[in-house]
Amino acid sequence: MRAGPMVRLVARSLLAPSFAVAAAILVKGYADAGDGFSAGAVAALGVMLQMLAFGRERVARDLPLHLAPRVAMCGLAIALGVLIIPVLAGGAPLEHWPPPGEKPIYIGTLELITAVVFDIGVFLLVLGACVAIIDALARARAAEEEVA
Amino acid sequence: MNLLFSVVIGALFASGVYLLLRGDLFRVVAGIVLVSNAASLTLMASGLTRGQAPILPLDEGRGLADPLVQAMTLTALVIGFAVTAVLLALSLGVYRSGRSLDLGDMTRREAEEAAEREAGELAQDVEAPEEATL
Amino acid sequence: MDELPPPTPPAGGDQVIAGPDGPEDAARPQTGGFGPSAAGAIAAAVLALVALGILWADGGGSIDEPWAPAWDLRLSFALDGLAALYGLLAAGVGALVFTYASAYVPRHLAADGRPREDEARLHAAMVLFLVAMVGLVTSEDLILLFVFWDLTAIASWLLIGFDRRRREARLSALMAMLVTTVTAVLILIGILMLRAEYGTTQLPELLRVAEPSTTVTVACALIAIGALAKSAQVPLHFWLPRAMAAPTPVSAYLHSAAMVAAGVFLLSRVHPLIALEPGLLDGLIVVGLLSMAVGGVLALAMDGLKQVLAYSTISQYGYVVTMLGVGGAKGAAAACFYVLAHALAKSALFMTAGAVTQATGAKALSATGGLLRKLPLLAAGSAAAAAGIAALPLTIGFFKDELFFAASAQRSTELGVAAVLAAGLTFAYMARFWAGIFLGPLRSPVRAPLERRLVWPIAGLGVLVVLGGIAVAPFAELAGDAATVTNGAPVDLHVAYHLDTRTENLMALGAWSLGLLLLAARPAYVPALAAFARLGERLGPDRLYWVSLRKLNELSDAFHDFEVRDLRSRVSSVIVPASVLVALGVIVTPTGGVYVVGAVERDDLPLVVALATCVFAAISVTIPRQHIALTLTLSGVGFSLATAYALMGGADVALVAVLVETLFALLFFGVFALVPRSVLRREARRRSPDRNRWRDGVVAVASGVIITLVVWSALSRPVPKDGMAERHVALTEVAHAKATVTAILADFRGLDTFVEITVIGVAMLIVMAAVRTRRRA
Repeated sequence: MRAGPMVRLVARSLLAPSFAVAAAILVKGYADAGDGFSAGAVAALGVMLQMLAFGRERVARDLPLHLAPRVAMCGLAIALGVLIIPVLAGGAPLEHWPPPGEKPIYIGTLELITAVVFDIGVFLLVLGACVAIIDALARARAAEEEVA
Repeated sequence: MNLLFSVVIGALFASGVYLLLRGDLFRVVAGIVLVSNAASLTLMASGLTRGQAPILPLDEGRGLADPLVQAMTLTALVIGFAVTAVLLALSLGVYRSGRSLDLGDMTRREAEEAAEREAGELAQDVEAPEEATL
Repeated sequence: MDELPPPTPPAGGDQVIAGPDGPEDAARPQTGGFGPSAAGAIAAAVLALVALGILWADGGGSIDEPWAPAWDLRLSFALDGLAALYGLLAAGVGALVFTYASAYVPRHLAADGRPREDEARLHAAMVLFLVAMVGLVTSEDLILLFVFWDLTAIASWLLIGFDRRRREARLSALMAMLVTTVTAVLILIGILMLRAEYGTTQLPELLRVAEPSTTVTVACALIAIGALAKSAQVPLHFWLPRAMAAPTPVSAYLHSAAMVAAGVFLLSRVHPLIALEPGLLDGLIVVGLLSMAVGGVLALAMDGLKQVLAYSTISQYGYVVTMLGVGGAKGAAAACFYVLAHALAKSALFMTAGAVTQATGAKALSATGGLLRKLPLLAAGSAAAAAGIAALPLTIGFFKDELFFAASAQRSTELGVAAVLAAGLTFAYMARFWAGIFLGPLRSPVRAPLERRLVWPIAGLGVLVVLGGIAVAPFAELAGDAATVTNGAPVDLHVAYHLDTRTENLMALGAWSLGLLLLAARPAYVPALAAFARLGERLGPDRLYWVSLRKLNELSDAFHDFEVRDLRSRVSSVIVPASVLVALGVIVTPTGGVYVVGAVERDDLPLVVALATCVFAAISVTIPRQHIALTLTLSGVGFSLATAYALMGGADVALVAVLVETLFALLFFGVFALVPRSVLRREARRRSPDRNRWRDGVVAVASGVIITLVVWSALSRPVPKDGMAERHVALTEVAHAKATVTAILADFRGLDTFVEITVIGVAMLIVMAAVRTRRRA
């Protein structure tokens, strides 16, 4: 099942922007609408569009689809880390740094705060999980076609 | 507005229940999606205040939408997504094990299997006594 | 739970009369050096021993770190006398047992046809157990203690079930785990009761402030039940003989110096609290005496080598529990010294049983005999150990019985008599055990020479037992320090030989003569013993365990059938009664002021349109027959709701709703693609009878109306004045954020979010597992 040339052109040219939008949503999540979940979903949709347009096999050659579950688990591990580390340090679970009242470190207009790290964990999890789920469906389809 | 929201929620819920009672598994899943949509809308509607999105800086003088219910609705939506994905995958598993998506077929088959299993267990109990090697 | 056996459990009592077990575990010569994991385990044990020894010689020490102040938890460990006694035992006996295991386990695995690499599992679990045990004995905080307590249970499960291909090993492991962890819940309840009463789980603090009260009594009783189950005391003793399904090194470690010792350790640890209520102490004496009697009698009856030792352990820990029940300086001293002497001797005896089985293939007393000439060093080492348990002079065991006799006789004459009877039993079964293996005619020839590592640890423990009988002072000092903690007051423990006619000496003489008498008269009462063992099986707690496990399983099956058999009727059976209840609630609620229509302003017009679209879409989802159309209308509902959310000021929610809807549509289509078209068409064509559709329609509309009313009354409640919204917005700035919703998700209610993404992760795993097609050859 291959889409027409126009769809493929659009799909190809949308992959990078979808990741860029995801990154923007993620980084600006603390200052504007959107958070780790929406960023992950946008990025995942970008990947899925490729799969719709080119088929799973073709996309798997360019993108490491098989790593998706691992990406998801990494995300979960990052979030868990942000959750647990303050407890080990004697604080409450998910206590963020910097504490209220202290100035965060800025890189340009970007703020370095642990809440963003937590959101990155959410992002990776959602991206990985969505891609893994769709990829599992696509692979099952391919396997059934092979049998048939 | 209260009445309006309630009626919309009621309609979503009613459609969901109707689908839940169908025999086709995919329709059941769709029904669950509708019911969880009703729940999300209830959460959103129960915000104490409505108005602009709670993103700083705020415009003076305009009302403010309750951020807490929004956060809860987000969580509900996302978990609803995960649950639906699992339900769909399970429906697929059900289809594969019985080549049918109909709940009636499924129930009949399970009853038959259970009867077979019980008959088999009985035979096993008689056949294989325990062996003591303490 | 497909492993439940029929209610008649495997008969252990058969072995009273049964002949030799088949030597299917035939020893094969298996030479090979240390596995790396074995070396690691031994190194860990030696390290622990040395570290504990040095620390203890240095006068103890303690660590007290705040752990999670938000939950009022502290990591507090202290090495006091009691901790030193049990810790040194666990590490010291551990080092010897691990050495033994390094030679035993490869043989065991080879006999079972398993790869040698599997030994790493055993060593890892052994070290886990050692760590848990050291943590347990040094914990100063009861919650921390409980954590280590459960860790020992997990490690023991891994160890007892090491032969996981054998059903019996799995069942035994499960039983040991269930008995000790279900009772561990009682301990936790007890701990939480103490915490509720005194606001702390720190033991030193608790010991200081606790006063006699019903709460403390109940809490201590619960803790004591858990501890007694761990020490395999009657009536929760039945798991221990079964746990003999474990490889011998595991038995030698867990069932002499570690797992069962943990129970009496806990009793010793909280003894000052238990002692607040004399009734509890009397209860301990009763349980201890019962265990002494049941364990001793059955040890005399059993034929399996390890079975004799298992029942002997039950009986021996019965002594310790009795002494803890007697309490006071004498009781505490006797208990602590007893644990020390028993652990050294008993682990040597377990290892002897394993070595004999490895050498000859025989597992039962009726199949062994006459090995004294063939295995002289083993015979000497285990002779010392057996003499230690039987309390002969020139062994450390003599003093354990001296203290035991002294404490019991001081308590009451009756207890003194019971003590002599129990010691007589002990003497008899120990003599029978050792003589049955090493004296008499040679029944099973030695088929495989034993490696040194299978014999030397036993000899080493034998030397220790004799050493303790000659120079008892260091052992007595260690036990005395431990007893000081148990007693809550200084204990002066002095033991020595006295060649006179003091009560203890007379009692000892009485016990030995009684033991000889019992041994001589054994043929006369063997049938009675067999009958007793069988009775215990038919009516005993072991039977109760299996029956309750089976009943629980049946109950869960019944629930499953009731819940799941027919999904559709279940759905209606949940919805209908729930609706009736809710409707009743709606009817009886006064209506005045409950239903507020609420103003619709001009600005709300777009929202009204979006919501109206949503209603149309929702109703139209119920109409189409084709699945694709169904999905598209479902998306229509989602997108119109997303619009509504956006108009309600929920920018984030709208964004996520759009994305989720898109993913939904892809998911549905992806799944549809995996079902053949013909099937989908068949489902689409299938029409339920009109009657059903009308019935379902009525149910749906009725529940919709009820939901409308309920939500309406909920939404009509007046808005409170204090603006939570403003407060959240104000806090957003403190949290270095600008978008309040994101701040709530990632910060204020971050735990919710974490649970949420965990759900996604789990959902991903389920979907991947469920969708995967098994390729057919």
